[in-house]
Amino acid sequence: MKLYRKEGNILQVLSFPTENAEKGDYLLVEDADADKALIAQVIDVQFAAVPGVLEELLRTLPDGGEPIQGEDIDPMEIAPHITYIQDASLLICKIRATLENDALSPSSSWLPSRSQSTIKKLSVPMLLKLANINGDLPIILGGTKDSSLLTIDASAVDGTLNIVTGKKGCGKSHLSKLLMASLIGYKATVVVFDLNGEYTCLGMTNDGKRNMYYDKIHALTPSQNFKVALDQLHLNVVMGILIHALHLPGTSAREFRRLWKQLKDKGDLTLSSLGEAIRNLTCNQHVRDALASRYHSLVNSGFFTDVPAEAALLEECLLRSKEQGGAIIINLKNTSSIDRQIVVEYVLGKLVDSLQSWKLKAVFLFAEEAHLYLRETYWDDIVTRMRHLGIFTTFITNQPDTIRESIYRQADNIFLFNFTNEHDLDVVSRAARVDAETVRSIARDLPPHHCLTLGRVVHDFPIVAKVRALDLKTMGETRLFFSHKN
Amino acid sequence: MQAAAPFQLNQQNFQQLNTADQYPQTLQLNRTPIQLKPNHRETTIAAIDTSTIKIGETSTGIIIAVRGATVWKQNRRYHYTRLGPFIFHITEDNKKQVYNTLERAYFTTRYESPHQSAPNLMQMPTRLASLLERWLQTMTAKTVADGLILLDGSLTAGTFDTPVHRMREILQQARKNRSTVLAFSKATTLRVNGYLITDQLPHSEPPYLLETTGLRFKPPTVLQGDVYVARLNKANYAFRLDIDRETPLHQRLEAVERLVGNDLYTQGYPETLRLAHILCTFTANEVIAMQHFITRKHGIQIINRPDMHRLLFGSFGGKGEMYA
Repeated sequence: MKLYRKEGNILQVLSFPTENAEKGDYLLVEDADADKALIAQVIDVQFAAVPGVLEELLRTLPDGGEPIQGEDIDPMEIAPHITYIQDASLLICKIRATLENDALSPSSSWLPSRSQSTIKKLSVPMLLKLANINGDLPIILGGTKDSSLLTIDASAVDGTLNIVTGKKGCGKSHLSKLLMASLIGYKATVVVFDLNGEYTCLGMTNDGKRNMYYDKIHALTPSQNFKVALDQLHLNVVMGILIHALHLPGTSAREFRRLWKQLKDKGDLTLSSLGEAIRNLTCNQHVRDALASRYHSLVNSGFFTDVPAEAALLEECLLRSKEQGGAIIINLKNTSSIDRQIVVEYVLGKLVDSLQSWKLKAVFLFAEEAHLYLRETYWDDIVTRMRHLGIFTTFITNQPDTIRESIYRQADNIFLFNFTNEHDLDVVSRAARVDAETVRSIARDLPPHHCLTLGRVVHDFPIVAKVRALDLKTMGETRLFFSHKN
Repeated sequence: MQAAAPFQLNQQNFQQLNTADQYPQTLQLNRTPIQLKPNHRETTIAAIDTSTIKIGETSTGIIIAVRGATVWKQNRRYHYTRLGPFIFHITEDNKKQVYNTLERAYFTTRYESPHQSAPNLMQMPTRLASLLERWLQTMTAKTVADGLILLDGSLTAGTFDTPVHRMREILQQARKNRSTVLAFSKATTLRVNGYLITDQLPHSEPPYLLETTGLRFKPPTVLQGDVYVARLNKANYAFRLDIDRETPLHQRLEAVERLVGNDLYTQGYPETLRLAHILCTFTANEVIAMQHFITRKHGIQIINRPDMHRLLFGSFGGKGEMYA
């Protein structure tokens, strides 16, 4: 390989067919005289503009358009050399760092010697070693192209905002399950908003046996094994549900707050007494009707109960997870849009309460397709207030434009799977820790189950890895009519 | 990575350089066209061309590459055989030996050149290309029967690299196989009344030939064919066409008519000959590949001599249109 050009932080490297460099590979450009080296990543592979190639291709086509038949007698065997030159490629590389005295710096301000520099491929293990990407809490994400393992440190997802995105069926949920399982392994508390009920059986292996996570997975299905009694609820949580999920107007909200306090003072905070109180409320007819309709929504959700035995204590699950690590899976499958919002409001409210009172240290929240249940104001809340309280969110989506730009700008880690749509790639490339060219070029060509990892976990050295398989019952497969054919 | 394409020479360039100052004042052009009727009878058309290029300089000489191509059209399809590239390191010490060894190896009879002085080193590329070209022409003349053999250039002999006897042998061999040799020159320096013969076209419907008479060269240069101006299709271009002098007139016309009826034309030039030229020409990437080959395989260091024109005259140091 030979250094050809440098423009800004883009290097162009001439590569010959035997050198076999591909997108995503890292190169070490060493200048022995300067005693420095550049670490650059191949983001595109193009044909080198070798003079005369067009003439070479054209001359075998006569006017008729059919290739001319013939024989080449080449006793000196020059043809392989011609092919070698014609197939030379130009590697477009992004400079990631400068290596000087065994220390990395993000600088690309110096120019290595074009004639004297040596260029070689930098293996992922070597890169991980140079970049010091390891730690005491390893999470093996998968295998890289050179058959080494990509291992990140669990502490690099601590306190961070993460995004897992890619088009449908490329392995996003699989990766989030892997991250989740690894975090549980390190005794972390994980809460998952499970839109399709695919996390509920993570305590089982593929063949239906219990696995090591069995006792740590707490699957809660609203209105089935996940109900709450009103007296377990804090007024703020209820008000959040009424205002944000059920859109209760301000005047009615004030009236509800008064009613709630009255019932609480009487020690009669049940669903039936709340219904009775609304019915007997002497106030404006519209206010009463508004309260009555919200009350019926709460009742119809099936999420609230007056039977203490039915009421599962989310707090209990959280505390249990705090001790041994565990995941609380909120199964939102078969839950209506309104009910989903009610449940999410309740869970987030409860988490904030628990964190504020230091009952919990921190929670890793995994939110699949969050735009389907997260209210507008929560987006900013999640990246600011909630993060400071200790809710570290991982958004998982196949529609990157449903996540707000502010989330991308503040995302610490992005796990990017294949996207072919330019618009989707544009959205993701807005992330502050990502350069648009890398995203556009590499993500477009990622095979299924291959993930481009960007951000803090890889010390800003984007690395492609094939996500490793898990022996978990994932239940994320799409149901098919012609399943026997697949 | 844009490199200036090195100057390539083929046989015709060389012939013109040698005969340019020799055209006689006795040359006449008959402007009455000989009309041609395309004859579609299936005929094998074969064309030969060679090319040579200097691919670098060493401390003792030059490195050149030579390649030849034979293209033939048979049953409406084009086929080719391409020989080379052959790479030579020519020095003042080995130039004669290289030439003589090749000549001895490929031609049974060795004819002394009428020009006794040893060739200049810079003429060696064209001399070696001529040697290959004459050998390819001889082989084609021996193998093609009842066909047409198209040569690039003229049927002028007695020059540095084309002994009269060798050209005569080629023509005899072709006649023996009932083939006709037609030599097309892409450009000519022959003038009548001060104008190029290919510029004096009558207002007649092509295809046609114009006959010339009175063309004689100073010895030892000898013309082995009769010279015509051929306009073979409606494109407004005509070419000098030399036809073997020993071929009877009716056979000459029939040969051109069969050519018109069997080959394709690009700007009035036969496609078979055009392909032969295209296939033997070196492209820039081939030159780079050959430089790569000689450096890697033989460890020969190519010297990049400074371009003195550029060095002394800067942007005024161009070498004119020839190198443009």
